[in-house]
Amino acid sequence: EETVGGDDDSNYEFGKGVFSEHACKYCGVQNPACVVRCNVPSCRKWFCNSRGNTSGSHIVNHLVRAKHKEVCLHKDSPLGETILECYSCGCRNVFLLGFISAKADNIVVLLCREPCASGNALKDMNWDPSQWLPLIDDRCFLPWLVKIPSEQEQLRARQISAQQINKVEELWKTNPDASLEDLEKPGVDDEPQPVALKYDDAYQYQNVFAPLVTLEADYDKMMKESQSKDSLTIRWDVGLNKKRIAYFVFPKEDNELRLVPGDELRLRYSGDAAHPAWQSVGHVIKLTAQEEVALELRGSQGVPLDVNHGYSVDFVWKSTSFDRMQGAMKTFAVDDTSVSGKAYVDITEVTIVIFGVLAKDDELMSERKDYFKHMGHMALEEQDVILEGYSYIFHQLLGHEVEAQVIKNPLPRRFGAPGLPELNASQVFAVKSVLQKPVSLIQGPPGTGKTVTSAAIVYHLSKTNQGQVLVCAPSNVAVDQLAEKISATGLKVVRLCAKSREAVSSPVEHLTLHYQVRHLDTSEKSELHKLQQLKDEQGELSSSDEKKYKALKRATEREISLSADVICCTCVGAGDPRLSNFRFRQVLIDESTQATEPECLIPLVLGVKQVVLVGDHCQLGPVIMCKKAARAMLAQSLFERLVLLGVKPFRLQVQYRMHPSLSEFPSNSFYEGTLQNGVTIVERQSTGIDFPWPVPNRPMFFYVQMGQEEISASGTSYLNRTEAAHVEKLVTTFLRSGVVPNQIGVITPYEGQRAYIVNYMSRNGSLRQQLYKEIEVASVDSFQGREKDYIILSCVRSNEHQGIGFLNDPRRLNVALTRARYGIVVLGNPKVLSKQPLWNSLLTHYKEHECLVEGPLNNLKQSMVQFQKPKKMYN
Amino acid sequence: NEVKVRQRVVPIDPEEEADFERELRALTQESFESRKLELRTRPTLNMTLPMNVLDHHSRSGVEEELGDEALDEDGSGGNKEVSFKVLVKRGNKQQTKQMLVPRDCKLVRNTKQNEAAESEE
Ligand SMILES: [Zn+2]
Ligand SMILES: [Zn+2]
Ligand SMILES: [Zn+2]
Repeated sequence: EETVGGDDDSNYEFGKGVFSEHACKYCGVQNPACVVRCNVPSCRKWFCNSRGNTSGSHIVNHLVRAKHKEVCLHKDSPLGETILECYSCGCRNVFLLGFISAKADNIVVLLCREPCASGNALKDMNWDPSQWLPLIDDRCFLPWLVKIPSEQEQLRARQISAQQINKVEELWKTNPDASLEDLEKPGVDDEPQPVALKYDDAYQYQNVFAPLVTLEADYDKMMKESQSKDSLTIRWDVGLNKKRIAYFVFPKEDNELRLVPGDELRLRYSGDAAHPAWQSVGHVIKLTAQEEVALELRGSQGVPLDVNHGYSVDFVWKSTSFDRMQGAMKTFAVDDTSVSGKAYVDITEVTIVIFGVLAKDDELMSERKDYFKHMGHMALEEQDVILEGYSYIFHQLLGHEVEAQVIKNPLPRRFGAPGLPELNASQVFAVKSVLQKPVSLIQGPPGTGKTVTSAAIVYHLSKTNQGQVLVCAPSNVAVDQLAEKISATGLKVVRLCAKSREAVSSPVEHLTLHYQVRHLDTSEKSELHKLQQLKDEQGELSSSDEKKYKALKRATEREISLSADVICCTCVGAGDPRLSNFRFRQVLIDESTQATEPECLIPLVLGVKQVVLVGDHCQLGPVIMCKKAARAMLAQSLFERLVLLGVKPFRLQVQYRMHPSLSEFPSNSFYEGTLQNGVTIVERQSTGIDFPWPVPNRPMFFYVQMGQEEISASGTSYLNRTEAAHVEKLVTTFLRSGVVPNQIGVITPYEGQRAYIVNYMSRNGSLRQQLYKEIEVASVDSFQGREKDYIILSCVRSNEHQGIGFLNDPRRLNVALTRARYGIVVLGNPKVLSKQPLWNSLLTHYKEHECLVEGPLNNLKQSMVQFQKPKKMYN
Repeated sequence: NEVKVRQRVVPIDPEEEADFERELRALTQESFESRKLELRTRPTLNMTLPMNVLDHHSRSGVEEELGDEALDEDGSGGNKEVSFKVLVKRGNKQQTKQMLVPRDCKLVRNTKQNEAAESEE
């Protein structure tokens, strides 16, 4: 049966149901002492007693706008669940009710103004009707009866305007269940609201991001589900766990998502005279070097093992990652404890100090006024509010101006960590400053030891004893690398993998939770082991055994996770139900510039009080496939937005990867010249390698190519035959000179060219075919985060009038130029590329160093090709 | 461990304020008028204070559990709030519920004046 042993995720909804029923329908405040329920049977909505940005409190606003007149107090309020009514006649019209007090004794009673509180009868009964105090005073309920939410609570709340209130009240007349979000829902053809720099509140944040995540999810679903392939040829195999594995080639094109381990596919055979129709679902467990996909099937029954041809494959789309992003945003909005968390406090405990506007900020103020005017707000004045420390990150994330805060962690004497290389000065500085700040950004340019620095930070965070540290990254590769380094410091690490990836091999297998569960060798666990063995052998368990197995497994997982110092998982993995009861005060996110904001938010809503974002906004960001969502800037990372908001990243400044000649241009163009070399020319000399570098000791050149680009066979990509031919010659020369295949990387931005080069080399290479097969030819994007000794970059684009496409993005150029350790060769057409200012300066740089060359490899000559005048940069 | 957050203050639109005030008054007035019409005869009031409430207190009206500082005369040095009892009906039963009322509330000032007047008598 296919569902047995599948994901437990299916019936778990991350972040759902946290919104309490009694939250104010306008602003979301949910303190029971501050809210009352409208008692009109068709309404029964809850509202708070704060004014927010309007002239009357929310409850009074509602009663007036809806012409409703009765209310009920919350059961946890001081008076308990009470319908407010006249003590004498039972009248429930709040506009008529008020308090009078007894002449003596501190006793008050609620009476209607007419008739009960008027007339003389009361005077004779110890009551004093001369001072009838209306229940609604100054457009609020009496604040001692229904408390006014604290400044803290109001700052967290949705900032609703009078206009929005009028609109939503209108909407409720026809649709009582409508929400405020319904007011702002864009039509199908409307452009979504773009991301902003600052947000009034977490609701606005959610209102902006939720539609973008939905757009991307819909697009992803559409694309993946349309990727069915027919007429595939299968090679059958059996895994160590006795499961069937199908190997096949899955052709792909530009702009199409590549399969990754963990993806779920459905394999189908339509049947023939000898075989019935068959289908099964499985997970991709690996992609081989020969571009074959290995699919581990869930069920092994009825597999037509003797048939190899005529299979079809569909993508099984899962909404899990998108659901978790949506859930995280919802939690961020409605759960006070999600970020820098602590439940609301009694208003008397909070110190609120209100300042006037500081004069020196005039300039800033007028800038901001323009910004708000532009955004359609009418904000003209500001105030400073001092709050208790726990909401710092919350406000920082929304872009509110928050005064710098120091966390009083004691600083260690040494900033390095056991098992890690000695840190350099900028790394020490980064570790040191991070430890005492609630929010820090660390920018790690290529080769600057980002992972080591992150591991050292995690080590010291863990030593502050504030509970388990959560370590995330958007990609599994990055999580594995970091987990390994952190584990080297001696900390106890658990690497949590998605269930769908448990069969995918990992370099840190021994750290994974599923491995540790299987290998925890104590006698109490023998029951679990027995069941596991049975399940492995039979493929399934009886339903009672399955229940027992699941409970035992869950308990063991929890026990192991709780005993760890550090939990490592992907950002999406932080929304795993197995972590739903965990709280993490300290979170580090590596490669955070490659995650979207909602993705980054998932690990943060587990109670973060100190967050470290590591990344490099000068390298490639997250890939957004939906154009609408991309135009609305969903690809902007949280790291980038915080930089734009003025949070200064600590930059690691010493690079240990590139030959100093190779780092010069990237340092000047992308890092203001701050990148220093931690390796010397001597350390990066290719000794014993005889390669025709035009300038000795400067292992780089731009190889001028004037051949035309062509549209690839698929019609969706480009290729360039002359460049491909020269790539082969370069590779052959490297191989001949003693370089081995895995030292070489060929980078090209176009799938058409990639496929063409692979094919061309294996057909035309003069050396053994196998050697060429072992050479990695891939896109810029798939090389991000990795390095090779030698890089050959084929630019492809060569045309008179069109643009240079992918190459236009400076961040992509930065990544392409910073992968090589020992040497780089760039192939392209300078006439075309020089139109773009950044490429123009790269070409000029090569030319100035006499590295712009043409001609055969054994006789390279300086090229005299003329550059074009660069067009002005816009964007 | 405090945090300073700079918050925008959206000034209240005077037109919106006037409009809201008008509607609120209209609703209050309408409630009041309709009440006058609907009740020709006054219902009898059952407003006697329950004895069990009064029994526990001295005639001065000051609750003992409030302590000395609860009602000191200048009202500046002590608690900002005074404990009051709200008389409510649960079905046909009389009940009181404890409630803290700010010292500067009209009800508090009133009670104190009455007490002063009574003690002079
Ligand atoms: Zn209502
Ligand atoms: Zn409210
Ligand atoms: Zn009455």
